[in-house]
Amino acid sequence: MFIVAAATASIAVFATSGLTGAPSDTGTITGHVTLTSHMRGVPISTNAYSTRAVNGQAKPASPEMRSVLVYLKRVKFTGALPTTTAQIRQEHETFSPRVVAITRGSTVDFPNFDPYFHNVFSLSGTAVFDLGRYQTGQSRSRQFTKTGVVKVYCHIHSQMSATILVLDHPYFATPDESGNFTLRDVPPGTYTLVGWHERVGEQVAEISVSPGQATDADLWLPVEDSQ
Amino acid sequence: MNQRRPPRLLLKTLLVTFGMAAGLLLFVFLVVREGVQNQVRRTQAQNLDVSQGILRALEDGHLRELRMQAGSLAENPTLKAAVDTYTVESSLAGSAAAPELLATVQRELDKVARLVGVDAVALDDVSGRTLASAGSNRQQWAGDDTRRIDGAGTGNVALLDAGGRLFRVVRVPLTLDDGATIGWLELGNALDQRYAEALDRISRTRTAILHRGRVVASTLNGPQAAAFERELQRQGMPSGTAVLDNETYAFRETARIESAQVYALSSVDQAVGIIMGRFNLVLGIIAVGALGLALVGSLWLARLLTAPIALLSSAIGERAAQRDLGSPLPLPGTSLEVDSLTDSFNQLIASVASAETRTEDAYAGAIRALAATLDARDPYTAGHSERVSALSVAVGHVMGLPPSEIEVLRLGALLHDIGKIGIPDDVLRKPGKLTDAEFEIITTHPVVGARILSSIPFLQPHLPIVELHHERPDGLGYPKGLRGDEIPLLARIVHVADAYDAITSARAYRAGRSGNDALRELWRCAGTEYHPEIVGALARALPKVAPEVASGAPMTQTAARTAASEALLEVRSA
Repeated sequence: MFIVAAATASIAVFATSGLTGAPSDTGTITGHVTLTSHMRGVPISTNAYSTRAVNGQAKPASPEMRSVLVYLKRVKFTGALPTTTAQIRQEHETFSPRVVAITRGSTVDFPNFDPYFHNVFSLSGTAVFDLGRYQTGQSRSRQFTKTGVVKVYCHIHSQMSATILVLDHPYFATPDESGNFTLRDVPPGTYTLVGWHERVGEQVAEISVSPGQATDADLWLPVEDSQ
Repeated sequence: MNQRRPPRLLLKTLLVTFGMAAGLLLFVFLVVREGVQNQVRRTQAQNLDVSQGILRALEDGHLRELRMQAGSLAENPTLKAAVDTYTVESSLAGSAAAPELLATVQRELDKVARLVGVDAVALDDVSGRTLASAGSNRQQWAGDDTRRIDGAGTGNVALLDAGGRLFRVVRVPLTLDDGATIGWLELGNALDQRYAEALDRISRTRTAILHRGRVVASTLNGPQAAAFERELQRQGMPSGTAVLDNETYAFRETARIESAQVYALSSVDQAVGIIMGRFNLVLGIIAVGALGLALVGSLWLARLLTAPIALLSSAIGERAAQRDLGSPLPLPGTSLEVDSLTDSFNQLIASVASAETRTEDAYAGAIRALAATLDARDPYTAGHSERVSALSVAVGHVMGLPPSEIEVLRLGALLHDIGKIGIPDDVLRKPGKLTDAEFEIITTHPVVGARILSSIPFLQPHLPIVELHHERPDGLGYPKGLRGDEIPLLARIVHVADAYDAITSARAYRAGRSGNDALRELWRCAGTEYHPEIVGALARALPKVAPEVASGAPMTQTAARTAASEALLEVRSA
């Protein structure tokens, strides 16, 4: 059956201050994200989606909240952009985590933890690549030098997918399982706060950040419940 | 009165038996024919059910296969990646999805269309937008606005109405491991004329595809398709029979895809026609043979019944014509009834014969008495009639006459002078010459005798003897003056015998002459007065007769005395 039950994720953004070394210069954004069915407006369970088991092993629950990213738009970041190395594991025939945000120039590792070959490729305009097939225990990496959304798939297991959001600033976060998140060291100013879910797209809220203060924001994401 | 002739028994028997046989045959023919027709109809409907069951199973199998194929095609990683990437990128505000992604989708769909034998392939995103289409019917599937899907469930067959063109669609989702559906792969077969014709070829039945009650494709002809639409609307049943353009069809709904139905139709008339044609031929041959047999049998039976009766009837007719009452008819022995009838007839003719014999005996006795009475009037002629009779019979024997003639001769001779009853005694007994007037009276006695006897049917054969025993070959005899051969043979014999006895007998006025004298006298007059061959026969017969017959009546004392006394009596009475 084709059930269209949408959930709205609201991203409540609270700006808090004083978490960095220069509390007077920057502010903090804190918030809460709630996923609700957009049809009924009722919050849906964060682990509403059953996950697949591979080789008889029970796959750990992957709360839907883990597929949500919160970030700022239209940010002018000055200075050297910090880069990191993120990891997307290939485990139980899924990419884990499903959604990763990184700064431009950062690298993502794709280690294979399954007892068979995996592959990583992308058709996204931001980064078209194919890391080839490799066996268990091996890992391949890719550095992302352009901002944008990169959808990643496995050529062997067509249902596997992951999303990498490449940003040119470090003001992003993945909410915890109950939907709380914190963005620290945000320069004062007016921003568009984006709650993003791979199936819904962006949900935005205008906020302003004052130095040394915490700002609150709430957003709702209508998530399509498909199973 | 014009009475109608009754029909012949043969005809009646024939009509009844043959009529019954023919009627029975006709009845059997009609019953069997009706039974066969019904059986053919039932069989036709069953055949339709069976063939459509098989076809449906085939189609179901084909659809299952198609669904499985679609399911595995929907796992195409490149297709999924391209669709998902395209969807995500277009959902991002401000960023345009790369056109090469759509090109990838198109390329993958073209591959699918080549792999799977379907008319059209399409890929929709989750919002129902068609990203790409392929296959021979891609034009109909390219636009979003003209397509309407009924029953768009996963795994089920959906009906797609693309600008008036119907497709049977198998629709499978493209899913990812988070359970999200990222799009739909649709494989469609057109429910068009080509499809109807293919079904027709496979199942050998007419096929009609209807959508919302209208025929969209069929292998029926135009009027039949229109009639089928009306019939379906009227009957409202998925199966049954319908008369379409004067042809009876059995129809079954073989598939229902949402608002579209596929019907199989089989012409009952055609099947019935083929089988009934053969049946009629066979039954016709049997009927003709059976009727022929019935006719022969009836004829035989009729003859069996009527032949003995006809035989008996003709035997009876023969007996009646010959007046032969002597012997009984033989029993045919063919049946109890006919034997009984024959036996009854035999008893009847036996009683008739005995009655006739008694009657004849009585007649003969009476005639003898009559003759005796006549002879008794004149003592000189006493026994004359008896002697003439005996002589005539003897002559008849010599001449080789048949027994029946002899009998006629015997009685006729006995009666030959019966007419003398009407002649007065004075003329009859007058001694000496008769006057002309007296002779005239005497000559009336043959006619008088014939008149007297003519009233007795039994004596009809004897009349010529009585009437003509005084005719002469020279024509000088009486009463008719016949000549030669005109005179009947028996009359000639009696004439000669009469003359012989008259010459040899004594009279009151003379003694009787000898037999030789008499023969001499007869020979003298042969050819004029007597027929010579009769005289010859008499001469040959005389030695065989009794002497008292041959010698005539003697002049006895008694006779003389009697004559004298009678004469005295007459004198006295006068």
